[in-house]
Amino acid sequence: MAPQDNRLTDGAPMRPVSCGQCGSRVLVRKSSLQQTSVQWNSEALRGCTEHTAAMSGPAAPGALETCHALGATIRAAALNGTVEVLDDEHAG
Amino acid sequence: MSAVESEHDAVRSIDAGAAPTRFARGWHCLGLAEKFKDGKPHAVQAFGQKLVVFQSGDGTLNVLDAYCRHMGGDLSQGTVKGDQVACPFHDWRWGGDGRCKQIPYSRRVPLRARTASWPSLDQDGMLFVWNDPEGNPPPADVTVPRIEGATSEGWTDWVWYETEVDANCREVVDNVVDMAHFFYVHYSFPTYFKNVFEGHTATQYMRGSGRPDARPQEQDGSRAKTTGSSSVATYHGPSFMIDDLVYELDGGEAQCVLINCHYPVSADKFILQYGIIVKRADTMSGNESEELAAAMAEFIKLGFEQDIAIWKNKTRIDNPLLCEEDGPVYQLRRWYEQFYVDADAVRPEMTDRFEFELDTTRPVEAWQREVEDNLARKAAAAKTPAA
Repeated sequence: MAPQDNRLTDGAPMRPVSCGQCGSRVLVRKSSLQQTSVQWNSEALRGCTEHTAAMSGPAAPGALETCHALGATIRAAALNGTVEVLDDEHAG
Repeated sequence: MSAVESEHDAVRSIDAGAAPTRFARGWHCLGLAEKFKDGKPHAVQAFGQKLVVFQSGDGTLNVLDAYCRHMGGDLSQGTVKGDQVACPFHDWRWGGDGRCKQIPYSRRVPLRARTASWPSLDQDGMLFVWNDPEGNPPPADVTVPRIEGATSEGWTDWVWYETEVDANCREVVDNVVDMAHFFYVHYSFPTYFKNVFEGHTATQYMRGSGRPDARPQEQDGSRAKTTGSSSVATYHGPSFMIDDLVYELDGGEAQCVLINCHYPVSADKFILQYGIIVKRADTMSGNESEELAAAMAEFIKLGFEQDIAIWKNKTRIDNPLLCEEDGPVYQLRRWYEQFYVDADAVRPEMTDRFEFELDTTRPVEAWQREVEDNLARKAAAAKTPAA
């Protein structure tokens, strides 16, 4: 088996979150309020309003730094506990 | 080890793995195009073989396998004759398309007189070559983006460096996600750090503050001090990174484009190259932009020299042990793998968008303290009369 990120195997895995704006389902992990990992798939990306708008221009793939609607969803989910935020104890 | 020790106490093993046996599919920059335009054939060791680069009469730069299919002569030791490169051994003439066009002493060219040719691109002052172990041409959507400043009077010319590194080129690609090394190796001070991988691009968004304890070229007070920087650096494919970089200076800001690129020579050697152009600003007089570009190049050179010292001595490691303040090394390597498998074996997980924003709170606290300590030590040393 290929080597694994010890933070995912020993810490917490990525969890599904659906965007409050477009419903796109992504995988999210937060090791703190500021740290965020987001795994997209092509279906989620196609469904995302902000990415669709960004890609209609001349921008290269990946040129959009962030989707603000999804960012807001993840922040809210972190604050209300739907998305687990690792504390120092877990992160160790 | 006693039986009561938990598995967490076990010694962590390094999995050094093995460097890939093939070379990445993608556009690779061979350097500034100008150096290949002197009317002579040039030898380039790349992708585990010897290539010849020559400019044909119409100005096009061509890249062929260096060894003549006739009796193995080295075309890079030959001469350019019109649109062809002529072998020094028996004067066989090879065109940029890889076909033998003429054998002056023969009535006709034999069948199968075709050698390997690489698609090339002469763009924005740089020469690019397309490598594909499967031998396919570049897909229409895999391009090298234009760099507006590179052909503009409003910007300086390229300041360009290249150097040979005895390591596998994955080491330089890993830098994309390695926030902490920018403090320890490159004398930067990252305060914001995010990666986005998508398709054949991998981007690093980084903002930083100045390092009053480092940046030796600013210490003499002759140049404006850097108070911060903002950078968006994207790999377009496996080896060519364009970094749109803005430095905040005491007297304004400087807009720069930094190229960080490489091509593999062999599995354990690559040519690292970096180039800089700076936008001429109204606030900059005379050749201040050129001076800034040169100073930046020196500074970046210093950082890469330190990278190289690390790479020379470190081990390859396929299973890095990461803390939460490290970047997404595993996900970067998953992205990077797409260039080392056949095009039809690229899996969605290699190209699907992945984002990672780092929490810089703790690193910034620790580095702030370290900078203050360094400054205090310098101040104390300055007070002590030299022996």
